[in-house]
Amino acid sequence: MTETQQKPIQPDPQAKMQSINLDVWFGQKQVLKSINLSVKPNTVTAIIGPSGCGKSTFIRTLNRMHELVPNAKLNGQVLLDGEDIYAKNVDPVMIRRRVGMVFQKPNPFPTMSIYDNVAAGLKLTGAKKGEDLDDIVKKSLIQASLWEEVKDDLKKPGTSISGGQQQRLCIARAVALRPEVILMDEPCSALDPIATAKIEKLVIELKQNYTVIIVTHNMQQASRVSDFTAFMYLGDLVEYGRTKDIFESPKSKLTEQYITGEFS
Amino acid sequence: MSRIIDRGLEEQAALLAKMGELTFETLETSIYGYLEGRNVKTQVREMSDVLVAMADKVEDQTFELIARFQPVASDLRTIKSYMKIGNDFARYGRYALDITSIAEQLGGLTQCEAWIQQYLSLMSQKVLFMVKVSVDSLRRHDVTLAKTITAPEREVDRMYLEFLNKLISDASASSKCVASGLLVTRYFERIADHAVYVCESIIYVVTGEKANLG
Repeated sequence: MTETQQKPIQPDPQAKMQSINLDVWFGQKQVLKSINLSVKPNTVTAIIGPSGCGKSTFIRTLNRMHELVPNAKLNGQVLLDGEDIYAKNVDPVMIRRRVGMVFQKPNPFPTMSIYDNVAAGLKLTGAKKGEDLDDIVKKSLIQASLWEEVKDDLKKPGTSISGGQQQRLCIARAVALRPEVILMDEPCSALDPIATAKIEKLVIELKQNYTVIIVTHNMQQASRVSDFTAFMYLGDLVEYGRTKDIFESPKSKLTEQYITGEFS
Repeated sequence: MSRIIDRGLEEQAALLAKMGELTFETLETSIYGYLEGRNVKTQVREMSDVLVAMADKVEDQTFELIARFQPVASDLRTIKSYMKIGNDFARYGRYALDITSIAEQLGGLTQCEAWIQQYLSLMSQKVLFMVKVSVDSLRRHDVTLAKTITAPEREVDRMYLEFLNKLISDASASSKCVASGLLVTRYFERIADHAVYVCESIIYVVTGEKANLG
């Protein structure tokens, strides 16, 4: 059943992440309008919508990355396990450790080896006591379905592998920090169909251990990988519900028009 | 602006509209042949075979549309339901053929008691009406019309049970007429069920609601 926005919004005890009446401006321009969305743990949520609808901005608010944009302003709340990540005492670096991000284009550190790319985040933020770096790198590469392909080439540059492998390397880098949530911003848009299929399979596997939120322009990708789908348009959350319901019987005419390609 | 999937959907709709016309004609031919004691089996078999071939074509079109265009939402509901309706129409044709087989094996209804003739004639009119409602609902994607199918469906169910009770209490009816009447009213009841399925599919196509009209 599709979940529609209800006001006033209360914190959802079942949610891993939740935005409450979230508004975002870049300068004078409001790019997100009172977004209320509750993401359940160990699920994949797809954010879809036309270019400029605010979906990338939205996921960047979930780990405070939008703050890197000059003139960005935010109202409302983003809760992670019920705690507001914008509260005064919260360190954005810690939030980004708990809520990782994978970007559109694979962006391994060009001067680092495959091994160092995975370990980079841990070296920066510090591994926990008793953690073995080699072990974490190996486990992260296994979780990113890359270990078998690179285990004999860990000292080679991260940029020496294919684009699809580089993207999985970036996922391994994110996973190495043991985040609770992984944000993915069009992670397959620069990849061929074979590499895309591997990433999609990986996304579904990752939800066993993480909560995944993925922005995609590819309707079929959203329907293949996600449990829940949110449709955004002009900064509004138009519809949010189970992916099966959104792609079979959307409640909103606007959603119907977008996913069937009737948008003029 | 039309989309590239629209042409395929229009072709499928046109094929189903033709099936709807043929399915009604097939049932009419079969039922009136049975009621009037005419052997129409060869004609009905040909029509039924055409309906099966058309249903196969609708299924092929469905698979092609899914494979090529990955339809979602109303497009997905439409092609899924069109395939189902194609099979419902093919079933109409097979029941029409079954009725002609009964007439061939057990003789026409004209040899039976008057009350049996009158009862089956009345029931056949209700069933043909239901088939027409289902075909028209499809042709016009008319949810309001589709929802009217419930009342005649209940009437057909009631008549079927009433006919069974009448046969049990009328010891004078010949065994051939009893067998013929039992089988044909059973086919009528099944045809009525498929008319309901078609109407439910139309509601699903238009609204996304999975209605239960039976």
